[in-house]
Amino acid sequence: MNFNRINPVIGMRSSVMVRKLFLLTIAILALTLFVSGCRQKKQAKTDQEKAQGKKKIAVVISTLNNPWFVVLGNTAKERAEQLGYEVTIFDSQNDTAKESDHFDNIIAGGYVAILFNPTDADGSIANVRKSKEAGVPTFCIDREINSNEVAATQILSDNYTGCVELGQYFVKRMDEKGKYVELLGILGDNNTWNRSKGFHSVVDNYPELKMVSQQTAEFDRTKAMEVLESTLQAYPEIDAVFCGNDAMAMGAYQALVAAGKADKVMVFGFDGAKDVIDSIHDGKIVATGMQFPKRMARMAAEQADEYIKGRRDFPQKVPVAVELVTQENIAKYTAYGRQSEQ
Amino acid sequence: MKKVCKYAVAAAIIAFLVYHSIYFENLEDIKQQRRKGTFNAAEYAREFWDNQLFSVFDKAVDVEELIELFNTNMNEAVRKYGKAPGVSRVYSYLIKGNGKILTIAKDFLEVSIRETQTNPDIKITTGFYIPGNAVRDASGLIDVSEFSDTMKFNEISGEINKIVVKEVIRPFLEEKPQVGNTIRFLGATQVSQEATEAKEFQLIEVVPIRLRLE
Repeated sequence: MNFNRINPVIGMRSSVMVRKLFLLTIAILALTLFVSGCRQKKQAKTDQEKAQGKKKIAVVISTLNNPWFVVLGNTAKERAEQLGYEVTIFDSQNDTAKESDHFDNIIAGGYVAILFNPTDADGSIANVRKSKEAGVPTFCIDREINSNEVAATQILSDNYTGCVELGQYFVKRMDEKGKYVELLGILGDNNTWNRSKGFHSVVDNYPELKMVSQQTAEFDRTKAMEVLESTLQAYPEIDAVFCGNDAMAMGAYQALVAAGKADKVMVFGFDGAKDVIDSIHDGKIVATGMQFPKRMARMAAEQADEYIKGRRDFPQKVPVAVELVTQENIAKYTAYGRQSEQ
Repeated sequence: MKKVCKYAVAAAIIAFLVYHSIYFENLEDIKQQRRKGTFNAAEYAREFWDNQLFSVFDKAVDVEELIELFNTNMNEAVRKYGKAPGVSRVYSYLIKGNGKILTIAKDFLEVSIRETQTNPDIKITTGFYIPGNAVRDASGLIDVSEFSDTMKFNEISGEINKIVVKEVIRPFLEEKPQVGNTIRFLGATQVSQEATEAKEFQLIEVVPIRLRLE
């Protein structure tokens, strides 16, 4: 039956549609061929680069807005370069979406390993998985991801035990009584909870120690200053502040100086950053936990090198002990480590 | 007009269904629930205490031998007997011995293990709160890499310590120990490699796993 003869309008519409469909199919085929051609060229280029020059290692850091993480990234880079690799540092800016983009670029760019400081213990798993599937091993530094299936190894600060020790010292300095404020880190970071829970596992056994406020300042110095300024409006009479990292400890100290309370309120941090080590040395901030970013970064670079050379038997999780730094033992320590390790 | 009413009713029905189909929950709360839901640290600690820990009792080192080694060759003490889950200057040791109670304090006993028995050599923890990971790590039986989230590994220590307080320390204290009594013990201790360099000598602190009056 000839539909064109029966209804010329429908017939005309059909043939126009068929033409359009045909053109669309051609366009899709052409695009597919173009994209696969580009990928082959890129692969050929990276193969050529590999054959010609140094292998490339990527260092992905959660944020370069914090000096502690800058040291972590720079030390990893330095050690990997000493081992003969070309290294690029990527800043995730505490954003898992940016982190994902970095991983896509790293995988496409022919890097042979990733030294990785995750932004989120759960959110970062997918990124490590896709790099594993692409044959690029990932070595987590400082922070873990909540999976044992995808990273080559995870080198972590033993934050919980470090804060148990800090908590014991806190109790002693507070003489088992008083009011304090806690400033938490990023809520999606396991380190935030490991530190807080380690601290509370000790301090909560002393009923005369009262936490009047617990808020997040997201590991950020400026936010910590703002949060504590506001907290002091509601709770002007406090005896101590426990901060989940040193950047927040510095912010808290600034707020106390501005309020004229720096001599009356003790500040406790965690990290071992330069400004807090100097502050402890000067008798201002009371204590911190030394996390050894340089030690962890060097280990990650060395293990990546071993992996590339064939080793596979890495423990999945490697806790690195945190050491309590106080005004009593400050002479043993310098920024980001021990005097003896510099 | 009829059409407008029909559309209004349809829109209202759709809005009602959508409203009741979608809900918002705090992502952090969900993550915390998920973590709690799949691992029970108390059960893990119970199983460890009842069925695994005794298997390493024969590996406990005599406390007098260990203290001697600390004072003469700390590196050898670490190599032969020390355990740590990762990179650390603090090592855990499984130890055994007997001795005489010299002092009974609020949270510990001071005990002499040497023949002269005039000066204390160790402290045995008898408080109702025990911090630290001595028992978990000294056993060498629990591998941190078993756990996708190290918070679970940390929680185990807390639960083991609760068992120590409830099933070792409290029953022992109910026997009303006195100064001069002899005790036999098996326990765990954590000692820094730098302990012997400290200006003030500190007694090693033992978390008891078995503790009884003789």
